[in-house]
Amino acid sequence: MRRLAYAVLVLAVRGRRERGGDWGEAILAEFAETTGDREAVRWAAGGLRVMWHERRARRRELPRIVRIRRRVVLIVLIGLAVGLVVNRFVLTVGYVDNGSMETTYLIGDRYVVDLVAFRLTGVRRGDVVELNRPGTDRLLIKRVIGLPGDTVECRGGGVWLNGAPLDEPYLSPDPEYTRMEDCTATTVPPHQLYLLGDHRIVSEDSRKYGPVDEGALHGRVLLRL
Amino acid sequence: MPRIPHTSPQTLLLFSVLLDEPARWRYGYDLSKETSLASGTLYPILMRLSEQKLLETSWEPSEEPGRPPRHLYRLTADGAALAGQRLAAKAAKPRTIGPAIQARTA
Repeated sequence: MRRLAYAVLVLAVRGRRERGGDWGEAILAEFAETTGDREAVRWAAGGLRVMWHERRARRRELPRIVRIRRRVVLIVLIGLAVGLVVNRFVLTVGYVDNGSMETTYLIGDRYVVDLVAFRLTGVRRGDVVELNRPGTDRLLIKRVIGLPGDTVECRGGGVWLNGAPLDEPYLSPDPEYTRMEDCTATTVPPHQLYLLGDHRIVSEDSRKYGPVDEGALHGRVLLRL
Repeated sequence: MPRIPHTSPQTLLLFSVLLDEPARWRYGYDLSKETSLASGTLYPILMRLSEQKLLETSWEPSEEPGRPPRHLYRLTADGAALAGQRLAAKAAKPRTIGPAIQARTA
């Protein structure tokens, strides 16, 4: 313990130099006087504090340009670190690699995904969500049609929600995209969602694999770039 | 109101210890023991005082080989005068004085 404290103090005082500043060396020289681990560690800790203040004072005397350059480097590094964390856990960008959401999202479009807030607020009908395609780790986007407890049915070329035809202003007016085959009425179980792609002809969605677990959601699409 | 320099309880404590024997050179460790100030508190005060020429410092040559030389401190004439003045000023207002100094100046 003593030797560790001493080693740390030496490092703080001298760094890579042969000899540290007068005051650092003074504190170092007195280290041998301390008795017991506790006192030695306290002495070294105080020494570290002094060194830290001295270092800050020395920094203030550096030329302005050096200080600015150091600050810029520091800011860039912090910015990178924060950016990586945000990209991983808060907001990220996704890429459309199939046509199942046409004509709202075309192949090659990029979109911003919220990875956190939707877990607090929940999703609403009409939201576009990003999820792992059931059984794979591929990410894709679909629209939320039915929430838990809703009954969804496709009949007469349109979607019926809880017994009423659903108004879907986001769909393309072109029937080449929206003409859909009938599907059986499904009641969405708790903690699951009924999802459809906007391109009702090519999209593989809850009509094929049924409602999807909320846990499969990766994020909520906020906007297209 | 600007703060009067060298009036913190820690500084006064150090003054009172140094004034016990103003002519003697003191080691940092002994000062820390006598004032019961941690090194992280004591040394910044010493540094400040020495910067303002209130404290003299010198290096004691090493007695045994392999031991680093030790740093020594004592008040300059200016420092001793200021220390006496500050302690007297505090003693005049004993309400705000720390018990440790109170015991020493009593």
